[in-house]
Amino acid sequence: MAHREVESFERLVLPHLDDAYALACHLLRDEHDAQDVVQEAVLRALRYFDGFRDGDARAWLLAIVRNCCYTWQRRYRTDGLSVSYADAETSSQLRGTDTDAGAIRSSDSAVIDRAVASLPPEFREVIVLRELQELSYREISQITGVPMGTVMSRLARARKRLASSLGLLIEEAS
Amino acid sequence: MRCAECRDALTSYVDGELMPEEAETMRDHLASCAACAAEHEMLQSLSRRLREGLARPRAPDVLKARIRSALSQSTGVLADVTTPGRPWTGLLVAGALIAVVSGGASFAVARREASRPAIAEQVLSSHLRSLMPGHLTLVPRLDSAGFPLAGGRLDYVGGRTVATVVYVRRQHVINVFSWPTEDRTAHTPVTSIEKGYHVVHWSDGGVELWVASDLNARELEQFVTLYRRE
Repeated sequence: MAHREVESFERLVLPHLDDAYALACHLLRDEHDAQDVVQEAVLRALRYFDGFRDGDARAWLLAIVRNCCYTWQRRYRTDGLSVSYADAETSSQLRGTDTDAGAIRSSDSAVIDRAVASLPPEFREVIVLRELQELSYREISQITGVPMGTVMSRLARARKRLASSLGLLIEEAS
Repeated sequence: MRCAECRDALTSYVDGELMPEEAETMRDHLASCAACAAEHEMLQSLSRRLREGLARPRAPDVLKARIRSALSQSTGVLADVTTPGRPWTGLLVAGALIAVVSGGASFAVARREASRPAIAEQVLSSHLRSLMPGHLTLVPRLDSAGFPLAGGRLDYVGGRTVATVVYVRRQHVINVFSWPTEDRTAHTPVTSIEKGYHVVHWSDGGVELWVASDLNARELEQFVTLYRRE
């Protein structure tokens, strides 16, 4: 590949590595797997960079990362995506071991992470894309390949589950 | 607006995804219905908690180094040296690598112009020099000591192309820069601190070496000792 193309790829795509890694961590619940998958996804993105013209490089990269995560799960894990990783150990692993990474967060974080981790994957991914990456329904729809209406209903159901597990649910008057 | 309609659209409202007129209707309903307003308040505070509380892990330096190394491979330079996800297994012929690469960048040009014999001669003489006894520079494998090899790349230091070998220790990246030098006298390692990073410098029989890392000085000196022993 020409040097100039790689430079242009680096300029457009590499600034989004943190977002790519955060998404992979939430989908895979394992930071070592997330590193391998993000590396694989970036190299795949480079191969398809010809096909990327304009548009949002971040959403484009995240879509590739998401697909690589699911391919990885199918290839290496027999437990599949439906297993929830809600144990505290995985949660602290996700948080990372770097003490100087500014990772001091409120004690609410562990509770939140556990609640999100125990969501089914199709709910977990929309929550992460919406609340962490702050993407629009249109962008989430492009990344996940489901219609915007489905994005909305998955978000609604995911939030209902989270509200319930976090003890926020208001008793319906009916 | 009825409550059932309101509840159906509440998620989109919280996410700012409603059309302006729909949002207007929603605001009117919420102002007049305490139950829906409470639900709205709950969804908003949930969203706030998620944004503040969800883990936002940043890509570790090791991953960024691996990706950069793999990308430099994709330009065709260093094509056989690094393979993504697999540590560098071969030898590195430091002197020859530098010569081949500085020649490699000009290769296409030389072919087009067919008038760059000087470079070809330099490449060949570097190649021959590298084959002489004592000119092979091995890249030490320090995996068993807890310093796995992450890859290699070419870099620019002081206006020259240098070979850079990358090791890792936990989340810390260790870069080893080396290039040939005229000075044949050996200098023992000296550690200094630059902008919070540790930098170790020494030279060994015609090769100048610099190591930089944010690893602590004790472990970095241990690394240097192991590197020089190999």
